[in-house]
Amino acid sequence: MSHRRFVYLGIGGVIAIVLALTFTGLNDSLTYYLYPSEAVDQRADFPDGERFRLAGIVVPGTVVEGEGSTAFDVTDGGADIPVVLNGPQPSLFAEEVPLLLEGAWSGDTFEADAALIRHDENYEVPEEGGAYPEG
Amino acid sequence: MKRVRILMAIAAAAMAAGLYLTLTSPTDRLQGEFTRIVNIHAPSMWVAFLAFGVTAFASILWLVRKTNRWDRIAEASVETGVLFTATGLFTGMVWGQAVWGRAWDWADPRMASTAVMFFVYIGYLALRRATPDPVMRARRSAILGAIAVVQVPLVYFSVNLFRSLHQTQSIRPDGASMPDAMVIALLVNFIAFTLLYVALTAARVEVAKTEESRAAETVPAGDAVATPLLSEVEDV
Repeated sequence: MSHRRFVYLGIGGVIAIVLALTFTGLNDSLTYYLYPSEAVDQRADFPDGERFRLAGIVVPGTVVEGEGSTAFDVTDGGADIPVVLNGPQPSLFAEEVPLLLEGAWSGDTFEADAALIRHDENYEVPEEGGAYPEG
Repeated sequence: MKRVRILMAIAAAAMAAGLYLTLTSPTDRLQGEFTRIVNIHAPSMWVAFLAFGVTAFASILWLVRKTNRWDRIAEASVETGVLFTATGLFTGMVWGQAVWGRAWDWADPRMASTAVMFFVYIGYLALRRATPDPVMRARRSAILGAIAVVQVPLVYFSVNLFRSLHQTQSIRPDGASMPDAMVIALLVNFIAFTLLYVALTAARVEVAKTEESRAAETVPAGDAVATPLLSEVEDV
């Protein structure tokens, strides 16, 4: 086949692969992630062990460090969900930080094996003695 | 080339000012020093969008006017566009690993669509290599250049259309969700990177002009030698 046709096929192939990855990735759980209120509402759709991503803010005062795992609650202001993270904390983990957790329900707890910090569009300069804001 | 030198000097001065602000602006309380990367990452992607927009404009003008000038500009702009997309992707990955805790996620619509855009424009350059005839090369490139630009709004609005890991816009028509000092640093860098884009693209167009005039002067060896006719040769 001519070089040109090969290039066209190459471009088309790459587009097809990446679109497939994008849409299967997004369709993973209908949407990229669910907020706690939605996860609770859709509890029946996600039986124990069925993976999805949960996005929520770490509730202050709920963090319990264990050996190789961390327990805390996440919230979206609507529902609070207890989480057990079986794996390393992301380096910027702290109270009130927004997280993206990958895992599945296990009873009333969300068992996560990976956690990412989901930084949003807000940039704030720390006040004196700067720590992540309260409330 | 003198014009290119002036453009480069202006760009260098602007980049220096941008770098100064990058290093001295306040930082976000969550990200710390990694905030500074946004001053390279966001301007790089802006310039990539601008470059591919210029390519689309030049491509359409070539299809209408068929003059070499527009083909040169379209091609040069793709080269700089691909370069700035690469720097944008690289700085994005460094930042992502540091702040999110992950360098890449195909499920994120901004990352996936940017990667596709990157590969399509690399395909534009490969397509040019694969087409030896200059007019056919210009025509095929122009069609691809005019169509591929549709990815630019797709990439930009991907974070608004879908849920994403990548943040939405911090600077919007109705205001900014970052302190003024950070906005200023970012905007100065946007201007500096734009000036750098103009200088680099102009330089690449000059190179293309030189290549074309050299090609026109060069006669392939075969054409310079005519086949000898035996009837004209004596004493064979």
